Amino acid sequence: MAELLASGGSMEMVRAAFDNGADAVYVGATGWSRRRAEFEMDDAAIVEAQRYARSAGKILRVAFNTLPASSEVPLFMARTDALYAAGVRDFILTDPGLMMALKNRHPDTILHASVGCTIINIQDALFYKEAGASQVVAECRMGKATMRRIKAEAGVGLEVLVHATTCYTLLGRCTMSSYTKHGHKVDASGKDHFPGSPNRGGLCYRICLTDWDQVGATGEIEASGVELPNRAYFLADDIPYLIDHGVDTIKIQGREYSVPLVGRMVRFYRDLIDACVRDRAGFRMDPWRERMARIVADRDAERRDKTAGLISESLDR
Amino acid sequence: MHGYELIVSVASPGELEGTDLSPYDAVCLGSPYCRRVEGNYAEALDLLPGVVSRLHAAGKRAYVTTPAGPREADLPHVGRLVDAAAAAGADALEIHNMGVLRMLREKGGPVPAHMGAYANVYTHLAAGVMRDAGAVRVRPNAEVSLEEMAILAREAGVEVEVLVHGKIPLGITDRCFLLTEPEESDPKCPPACGEVHWLTSRQWVLKTVGKGVLSGRDMCLLEHLPRLVADGFRVFRIEGLYETAAYRSEIGAVYREALARAFAGGSFALEDRWADAARRHAPRGLCNGYSFGTAGRTYVGTVLQDANSEV
Repeated sequence: MAELLASGGSMEMVRAAFDNGADAVYVGATGWSRRRAEFEMDDAAIVEAQRYARSAGKILRVAFNTLPASSEVPLFMARTDALYAAGVRDFILTDPGLMMALKNRHPDTILHASVGCTIINIQDALFYKEAGASQVVAECRMGKATMRRIKAEAGVGLEVLVHATTCYTLLGRCTMSSYTKHGHKVDASGKDHFPGSPNRGGLCYRICLTDWDQVGATGEIEASGVELPNRAYFLADDIPYLIDHGVDTIKIQGREYSVPLVGRMVRFYRDLIDACVRDRAGFRMDPWRERMARIVADRDAERRDKTAGLISESLDR
Repeated sequence: MHGYELIVSVASPGELEGTDLSPYDAVCLGSPYCRRVEGNYAEALDLLPGVVSRLHAAGKRAYVTTPAGPREADLPHVGRLVDAAAAAGADALEIHNMGVLRMLREKGGPVPAHMGAYANVYTHLAAGVMRDAGAVRVRPNAEVSLEEMAILAREAGVEVEVLVHGKIPLGITDRCFLLTEPEESDPKCPPACGEVHWLTSRQWVLKTVGKGVLSGRDMCLLEHLPRLVADGFRVFRIEGLYETAAYRSEIGAVYREALARAFAGGSFALEDRWADAARRHAPRGLCNGYSFGTAGRTYVGTVLQDANSEV
């Protein structure tokens, strides 16, 4: 049965996710994941989360899914060594070089290729498998035919995000945020958090979500207030399909959301998956829609506030 | 031979026409953004033998780009593109997608690979993985500073290409921003991306080419060429896609002359006519911030900073 993977932006969120039915939770190592430090965890917190997961017979994955500087590779090795020594075996990575290095050093680690790898075809999946990944995250717009082919032919696990955003650009291949604002914030370990660059561990200022004017060559306004679509989605209708086709992990993204909201999302998907598995033939989506709509409305309100704050922050000098 | 290489990217016969290639040592053919770009050399495979031959006859190397974001349905075409480029005698394939790199390796590496702007090369370890899969050259991601590139070049055992001038690739998407209807039925396709369309908001300017987002400002490392030479960089790109023939010709001439002076050693001062050409062809200003670890749209320097309102 597909594993339900949820976000852990804090110890409180980790507990809420597990307690509401997640089979696995991912957390970000401070400075090394695609969120800012307030949604990441230091080693002590990761170890505590790992203990909580183990006590419940569940899995904790630690995301090191940024694209660091070459000079930071020793920091990566030291940090993953320490977590490995503490019993962590499951990691989420983006850089294929770091994947190979970690796998060579600790062959019993389980590596998942992050959404930041932008895996959009079966050849991508095979590439990351050869780099050491046992599971790959499908790019958010990946079609079902590609998913089927990866499942059937690639010999690698497939993870699908059911709650996430479809960025305007291909996620992992966008530097619009750091083009507008980019800085350096080096922590005590020596790791640069690269504020403004989600690919490097900072945060995305979501400038795609502000109002843009499209302007022609001679300065004429061709369209006012256009948006570069970046939509949060909440997939439910696809869940039966994903289960039927053997998708390995169904993932709920959202470390930046409030703990109660994440708890509700996890509970929703847990109940939905269990209901679907219990009675596949009789399963109908309709009864779930009202509950889903309430969660989506609350999610959208939190996202709106967060986006406004990020855009405003991007304008600060 | 002068020990370095100046490359320009050219999408199609339409872009090639009128472009003075004399400043350049190599031409990267095709657009990685969209297969529907009119005359895209990465799509119109029957054009490759002729254009590669002509470039070789002119003493230039010919590289061919590949789609930056190929979906499953694009892979058969990519396979044909690899074969066609090899048969045409192309000197390298520019690759942005790891799956395409893998396909090239599976075919026995009939052409060397150059990793392109969207290949997300940030570390020497990643570059090493790509080297082992057939890459002989990498272009680090735009966010990678010159300081980081120097480490990468030293540690990875591959050539490093530096974007010295032109719009910075910032993002790719597989839905065309300029169309309202499906690609096949919208009369704006393919001409729309051949026109100039800016996106402006607050103090930001971007350039949309439909399935790509580029910087509004032009990357410019003209006044920093002596540093690039001292740091050991030998491969330089001028981004010529979606620009005019005059842009490619004049900016290329400026860099050819400036690089010759930088490689000669001694004092290096920008000629007024170089600076004028850089300003004239950058209606939205110049930038180079990424190279120095700051926001991409900023400009670091002492000569051309007047071409950027935020230095």
